[in-house]
This record gives sequence, C-alpha cells and structure tokens, in this order.
Amino acid sequence: MTMSRLDPQPTEVVDRSSKLRFRWNGKRFTGFEGDTVASALAAAGEHVFSRSMKYHRPRGVLTADYWDPNLLVQIGDDPNVRAGHRLLEAGMDVKAQNAWPSLRRDIKAANSLVGRFLTAGFYYKTFMRPQRLWPTYERVLSTFAPGGKIDIDTPHRYHDKRYTHPDVVVAGAGPAGIEAALAAAETGARVLLVEHEHTVGGHLRYSSAAADRAALAELRVALEASDVEVLINSTVTGRYEDNWLGIVQRSHPTAVERLIKARAKVLVAAPGLIERPYVFAGNDRPGVITSGAARRLVNLWGVKPGERAVVFTANAEGDAAAEDLERAGVEIAAVLDGRDGRRVSSVQGPPRATDAVVAGDLRIEADLLVVAAGWTAPTSLLNMAGDRPVYDPAAARFFPSDPPGNVLAAGGLAGDGTLDELRAHGGATGQLAAARASAVAHRLQARTARALPVEGPEPAWAPDERAPLGRDPHPELYRSDTHGMVDFSEDVGSKDLVAAAREGYDSVELAKRYTTATMGPSQGKLETVNTVAAIAEARGETIAQVGTTVWRPPYAPVTLGALAGRNFEPVRVSSIQPWHEANGVRTIIAGQWIRPDHYGDPAAEVRNVRTNVGLIDVTPLGKLDLRGPDIPKLLNLLYTNKWSKLPVGKVRYGMMCAEDGVVLDDGVTGRLGDDHYLMTTTSSGAGSVWEWVENWLQTERPDWRVHVTPVTTAYTSINVAGPKSRELVSRVAEGVDLSPEAFAYMEVRTAAVAGVADCFMWRIGFTGELSFELHVPAGHGRHVWEALMEAGADLGVGPFGLEAQRIMRLERGHFIVGQDTDGLTLAPSTGLSPLIKLDKDDFAGLPELAWAADRRLPMIVAIQPDDPDVVPPEASQIVRGDTNEILGRITSARMSPTLGRSVCLGQVEPELAAGGTKVTVLLTSGERISATVIDHHAHFDPSGERLRG
Amino acid sequence: MADRLEFESAVVRRYPAGEPGEMVLFDASATVKWLVRAAADGAAAQQLGVPFGSSARAPGGALVLGSRPGEWILLGTAESVAHAVGALDGVVGEDFVTALDWTHGRALFRLTGHDAVRILEKVCSLDWSEEMTPDGAVMSASVAKVTCDLAREDVDAVPSYLIFCDRSFGQYLFDALIDAGGEFGLSVGPVCL
Repeated sequence: MTMSRLDPQPTEVVDRSSKLRFRWNGKRFTGFEGDTVASALAAAGEHVFSRSMKYHRPRGVLTADYWDPNLLVQIGDDPNVRAGHRLLEAGMDVKAQNAWPSLRRDIKAANSLVGRFLTAGFYYKTFMRPQRLWPTYERVLSTFAPGGKIDIDTPHRYHDKRYTHPDVVVAGAGPAGIEAALAAAETGARVLLVEHEHTVGGHLRYSSAAADRAALAELRVALEASDVEVLINSTVTGRYEDNWLGIVQRSHPTAVERLIKARAKVLVAAPGLIERPYVFAGNDRPGVITSGAARRLVNLWGVKPGERAVVFTANAEGDAAAEDLERAGVEIAAVLDGRDGRRVSSVQGPPRATDAVVAGDLRIEADLLVVAAGWTAPTSLLNMAGDRPVYDPAAARFFPSDPPGNVLAAGGLAGDGTLDELRAHGGATGQLAAARASAVAHRLQARTARALPVEGPEPAWAPDERAPLGRDPHPELYRSDTHGMVDFSEDVGSKDLVAAAREGYDSVELAKRYTTATMGPSQGKLETVNTVAAIAEARGETIAQVGTTVWRPPYAPVTLGALAGRNFEPVRVSSIQPWHEANGVRTIIAGQWIRPDHYGDPAAEVRNVRTNVGLIDVTPLGKLDLRGPDIPKLLNLLYTNKWSKLPVGKVRYGMMCAEDGVVLDDGVTGRLGDDHYLMTTTSSGAGSVWEWVENWLQTERPDWRVHVTPVTTAYTSINVAGPKSRELVSRVAEGVDLSPEAFAYMEVRTAAVAGVADCFMWRIGFTGELSFELHVPAGHGRHVWEALMEAGADLGVGPFGLEAQRIMRLERGHFIVGQDTDGLTLAPSTGLSPLIKLDKDDFAGLPELAWAADRRLPMIVAIQPDDPDVVPPEASQIVRGDTNEILGRITSARMSPTLGRSVCLGQVEPELAAGGTKVTVLLTSGERISATVIDHHAHFDPSGERLRG
Repeated sequence: MADRLEFESAVVRRYPAGEPGEMVLFDASATVKWLVRAAADGAAAQQLGVPFGSSARAPGGALVLGSRPGEWILLGTAESVAHAVGALDGVVGEDFVTALDWTHGRALFRLTGHDAVRILEKVCSLDWSEEMTPDGAVMSASVAKVTCDLAREDVDAVPSYLIFCDRSFGQYLFDALIDAGGEFGLSVGPVCL
C-alpha cells in the first residue's frame, strides 16, 4: 500500500498554498491547511498509524473519518485524538499510541503469537487466582493498558457551557438534515443544525458527481442565507427526557470545547449512515479500507490510497469508489460485486501491508482492498428516546420503529432514495418538526407567567403525512467464509464472539459485556451490526431474533473537560473581606463562605480577647427578619422553649429540633418591635432553617400572619468581645446607654454605630467574654469595622478568627450543632433540658422528646485529659478500659491558651456523664489515655461572670 | 438606611479599563431596593398593579417587579421607592403587608447589549427568547450556580437585564459574568443607580 498526494482535485478541501509543518513520531512532515492529521500522514506515504489494543497488530486507515478506530494518536499532551478527524495545525507533535519501543517495532506484538490464549474473558479467568497475587498482576497488566499518556501538569484549558432552547435541533447536516433545518427555519422556528464534521454536506462533500456538487453548493448558499444556527464539528451526544440534548461543540472560537445543553421542542435525527467493515481474515490489515475512506482520501484531501486496488462492492457507494480510484490513477485490479454473490476470503502480505486479495479460488495482486459491504444506521438518538429499531433483512440494516412524536428521523436513517427524494423527505420532516414545535411552544408560553400572552388555542399536534422513503435492497454481508476482526477498537474477532456464545454468553447484551465488543471508542458505530450477526450465526438465528444492544449516551465519547464545563464554584465573602486580606488573614472555607480562620497566631488572639478586646467577623451567622403578629406562635412551634412573653428589647436563646427530636439548630432571637423580631441561626444552618421555617408557614400554618426574609448578608455582623469591649463600643455607638444596668446581658438595642444608623446591637457572645454583637447594614460594614479598629487602638483591639473563637467557645463549654451533636442527638443530650418545655401545646419534636424524657440518653459533657498536654484528635473514641467497647467520642478538642491545658467536649453514655467520672480515650495512634468528666460544660468561668459583665 | 456614608458595593475588585463596547456590565448595587410582601390578590397587589412575572414603573418612577406570587421588589431612588411604598399605606386596610429595605442585602447588576442573551445563556438555563422572556419579564433562576432574581428592562430598545443576588455572592457573580462575557467584548460600566 503506497499512498501519495494526487494532483489537485476539483473537490478537495486542502489549501495547497498553505503548508503546515508538524512532527510524527519525532520526524518532520508537511501537510496542507484543510488536511486532517491522518490525511497529511497518508499523503506523505505513512500507512501504519497505530497498534491494536490487545494483539498490537499494525493498523492503518480504515474509514478515514471520526469513527476510524485505527487512527487514535497522541498530539502533544492530548491523548486519544482522532487523527481521522482532527485538522492539522502547524507545529503539532503527533505520536503513535499503544506501541513500545516504536510503532514500527512493537515488542508487545508478541501478544499476537499467543492470541489464541487471549480470548474473551482471558483476564477474568486467568488472574483471579491466587487472589493474593492480584496486586502484582494489576501492576504488570497496567503496563498493557491502551491509550495515550496524560500529563498531570497540563495547564487547564477553557471549557465552556451554554444553555439553549431552540424549537428544532437537527442532528446531522447532510442533504436531508440541511433541508429539514431550512424548512423549519422558513416557518419562523429557531433551528440549531449540528454537524459532526468540519463542513456541512454529508456524503455530498466527497462526491465527485456533478449533480451532487451542484446540490451541495445550492444547499450551502441557502443555509448561509437562512436564520439557521449551524454548529460544525459538533456532536449531539445524548438525548434525555423531554428532548434535553447534550451537544459538544468543538468549533468554539475561544473555548476548547463547549457543552451545550439544549431543550429542543423537536429533535430531527439525520446522522446519515455509517459504513460498516466486512469480516474476513486479515480485514484489519493496513491496505483494507472502506469505500467511504477511499472517496474521502481522493476527493477531500487529494490522497492516492494505493497503486493497485481490488474493490469489493455491494452498493452504489462502492461503485462510485471504483470510479473515483480509477480517475485518480489507481489501477483497478478487480471489482468483486457482492450483489452477485462474490466474497472476499482474506488478504495476504507481510504484517504491515497487503499485497494480495483472495476471493475463493482467485488470488489477486493488489496493495489496496476497498470494501463496500453495507451500512450501520446510527439509531442512537432514537434509542435514547425509547425507540427500538427493527432489522430489515432485505435492506440489511436497522430502521426506526416508533420514536416519540417529538423525535423525527430523516435521511439515510429513515430510508433510501435519490438525492431529490432524500432532500424532499428532509424538507417535509423540517416542516413537521416546526409544526409540532409550535404546539409545544404554545403550551410552554401559556404556562409561564413571564411569557408573552398566547393567542388562540394550542395548535393541534401535526400528523405525520410525510411520504415514506423507500428501502434499497442490499445483500446481508457480515462475515465471509473466514473469521476476522469485528471490533477494531477492542480487538474482538468473530471467533471470540462465537466462543462467547458457546460459553453461554449468547444474549447480545451479555456477549457485549463479556467480550467488550462495541464498547470501545467507536461506540459500536462500526461494530454493532457485525457483532449481532456473529452471535446470530453462532446461535443459528436471524439478526432480528437476536436483536441489538441498546445505544445509550454518549453518541460519541465526550471528554471529561467538556462534561465539567466551566467550573462554577460560588463563594461568599463578607463586606470586611478586603480588610481581612490586607491584614494577613489565613482563610478557611466554611461551606460556600471564605472566612477568617486566624491572622497568624490564634492563641495570641485568644489571650488578647481574654485580656483586652477583639473583633471577629461573624457575618455568615444566619439572620432571619420576622414580621407579623403571629411570630410568637411561630417561635413556640420552632423552638423547644417558650416565647409568648419575650419583651421588646430582649433576646432569648432557643434550640430547634426536627420532628424526631434531634437537634436541628440553635441560636438567639431578639424582639425588635411589637411585631418585628430578628432570628439568628448557626452559620451552616442559615439556609436550612429558612427552608424549615417557610415549610411550616407555607404548608402547615398558612393562616399565620408572619413574613420571613433572610437577611444574613444584609447585615455585616461583628462581635466585639473582651473585658474592654464596652469601652470600645461606647466610643463609636451613638444614642444608646451601654451601662450594665441599661443594657444587660441578652438584650438588644438599635443604635447608630460610627455614623451608621439602624444598627442592631446585642449583648450576647460565644467566647465567654463580655461581648457586643453588632449587625451593621452591609454597605457600611467595612467602615464600622475599621472605625472600631481605629477607636480601639489604645485598648489593644485586634482581630480574631474562627479558630480563636472555637477555642474560646470550647473553654466556655458552648456546644456547636453539627460538631458536638450529630444526626442522632436528641435535645436532652445537650444538657439543656430546662429549655425543653414539654408542657407546651406543641412544638416540632414534642412527641419524640416526651417519649425520650424518661430514657437515659448519651450526654454532651466537658472532658479534660489527665495529661494536660495531650489534645485528643476530634472523633477519638471513648472506650471501656482496655476493651474496644465504644462508650462515646471526643467531639471537640483544643489546647486552651487561657488554662494552659487541653480541653474537650464529648458525647458519652449516660453512666459516664457524672462529673468526676474517669474515661478512657482511644487515640488514633492506638494509645489509650485517661481523662476526667467535669461537672459543668464550662472549663472556664462556669459562673458566667465575665460574659455578663 | 444610613445616608450619611458612602455605600460600599460587594464588588470591590478593580477591572482593567477596556475599550468601551456595546456590551456593558454595570454594578447597580447601590440602588435602593425594597421587598414588599402581601396577599397576591389583596389590596396591595391591586395598588402595585404588577402580577408575578412582570414589571412596571410606579408613579414616582420606582421599578416594581413581581418577583414571586405575593412578593414584589421595588427599585429606584430612595424617593421613588419611598413614594411607592408609601402609597400602600392608604389602601391596604386590614391586609397583612410588610415592606423591608433590602438595599444592603442584595447585589444588583445590569447587563446591557445585543449579546446579553448570549452571555446569559452561558450561565443560566432559562429560555431567553422574546416569547418566553419579553421586555418587562421577571424571573428567578440559578446564574452561575447562584440563586438570583432577574428582570428584563430594555434601554432604548437595547436588551438589558437586571440581576440580583445575595450580597455575599456579589463579587463572585460579577466575576463570573465578566468571564462569560469575554468573548463578546463585555466591558465594565460605571457604577450606576
């Protein structure tokens, strides 16, 4: 097989004035603009492009398009690139995959010598015993894994995403697809035409017939003048419920790939037909190509695919290939007509080439065998819509059965005909699609509040009155009288399938999975029908009786980058974030929030708060604005304690439970006015508590007059903590008496702070120190923070982060919902039983908590390791003595800068909850340490004198 | 709200000044925004006269968005919004109506230009066709994975979209829109009301 560049062809797409230099396996090559990588290499005389997956057999061009299983190469750091499709670019560094040390001399080709032992299931059967050796097996086998190499240092590339709602999506821009798109667009429908190849036209692109060329030119002009949105080099990869389509666009000007999620009102599937290989001995040898490959090479890229050819043809495409080859100067040694019962038995020659074709008793010298043995109808999109295509033995291919009304087939998928007939059917399909899309659009518009009002009743669902296409007779050519390759991607031969059927894997679905036939990069486009035929033959049944596998998404392999699309990861920051960043903050990710963890030394921050005064940004603290006369009813329902008599200006702590009595959240709620409250939640519970409240109001108590609005980030929240906090706040607050008598612990006031009106000020805190929590309109949050920092400079004011706060709350013994509680922690386990008012009429969780009242539950307790220097890792188990009987766990643990020792909270079985109890903590290192439960949750200031200040 | 101090938007990052183009993203977060809630079929709804999914200018100039059944967002200058909210006082009677200043809680951006839909298509799954999202339409959706309220209010027949999100997401969403608009020459406009 000697390939070379022809003189310019009238149909070629290469620009010979634009030369592109590239490398192939380290050697320099030249191609033209418009070449694919494969066509450029073929024109340069290369005829082996890869080694097969299992047997490492040399492989050459087979189909010369996207589906060619033999043309997977590595380009730069991009593995598994389809050289039959990827356009050549200057400077490309192209390498063969799956070959070592070189494509020419591949040591692993030795596999082919033991090929008869490497049949389907070889790995499963051979390497399952002895089980202990599997890691070794795995290590060795992994060196045989096919495919290219991934460079983990490759820079991330820009993948994009788009959503669209066209009326009609046409998958496939052959003549039928183009006509469908044009006809639909003429009615005013929004149409998206998606073409797998780099240009529209389908098989007309590589036809040398004058009539075809004229038709192609006419269609392109019409398309250019239309409103149809055309996506070339793009693939409809999947059809999902209600015509939700995945489309991968590889032709975006700025993104490597773009994943388009299209909600099409009607889908027209017009993917054309895919030429399938013929199974015979040596059918995967370089020099055996499909008729479509021959025509593409000659007519699109001006490549002469061989010197002397045998053409095995059973259809007009094969006949046309013979004509094209002859015109290109290829000597036609013989034309074997499959319609007359002629068959190819084998090809012969050295391993890397073909030099003779054997047909029965005939041996014909030739370096090229062109095969036109029939078609695969890629019914994938119809399968995905629920259709089960049926096999027609007279036409030797599958046809649509009964797809849903919003999925229509056109072109070769629907039948055969002249070009005019195919175009007319396509046009009728487009009109039908548009008519049905208008009915869907009317319905959607009528149901959508924001949409324009609809006029008139919904249009009737248009009946399908298209004249059906015919079906050309075609001989059933699947396997000759010899065995050959069925799945070129997976190296599965017809013998493997027969063997699988004999072993009992005679269902096509089982045989597929057992042999992996159809599961390679071609996704069954070339192999499915031959696989079914081989199984049918082995079972002595017809193809119709065997049926097909179900084609699922994706239609063609999709890169992980395309699936990931743009990396949307929302993050939330408070208005003070710029200050934090300018002052050495170390941040921590808490849910979506970026929060200050510390500013270099959390222990020093703790000491400063305990000694002077500190500021912490607690903006993520959940805040719900409650308005209405029925708020007390709502609070009584949500919280375990009582809320009917909370005076204006007072704040109360509350604990929320789910209906199973498990602690859901906690926080304080203050009464700002007669019918106006502000509820706070934990930071992590802000969203879920809002949903919880709305759920009660909207579904259970819709008659209650309460409006709830999340205002978490409407306010920047700053906690001013420390013995000098009153002094600091007094320097910036206006119109409020901060004395302990006038503004006591658990009270709320409204005041101006640093010139900002309408700030809420609470006497609460989480650190155990005298604290003022300020909620400032967020647009002025940074101003107030900076004013506090400036005003407190002489007081030693400094920022503190979450880590210091966590230490201080642990010193003070405040539990955190979700940290010290879990999904089984009932409210009494928190030690706050006095807040659980079982005498209330109702509240969320009341029945469960009433049941639990007499039960001994695990308890949250404060624990101190006997060795004050040991800080047990959180989640360390508390066990019984030297046994592994679990009696609890450490839920929080830190070294206390204030006390100079480790302090913990934990959950323990009730018999260990009493103060003074000794417990054993099993560390993650396996060491066991002794610790003591203390009387109170608070390790520090148990009387609360400091925080009440 | 505090009027004595300058309002600081959630968008604090500085963007390189590009060639002013047709596509512009404005930060309008300082616009006064109020949230009004009332029965969808009550007197307040009658007074506002804007059903769910649509928008209209109130006497005084405030833009009233029917953001959800029984919920309206009022936008504009402090005076125009106060006028619209104040107008409810005389008509609501016994109806349960609340009004809340939401100015500080929501970031607000305006995306203007003929390619606005092509940018929005990259970050939001709504159907932006004229039929489904005409001028005046109001909707809620995920934009770059952030829950947003949106409204279309064309400017001199040029498509223009208002995008509201929780203030804390403001910088992230603004960045995401700038990124999405890069291929369309999106530039950052002056802070506007």
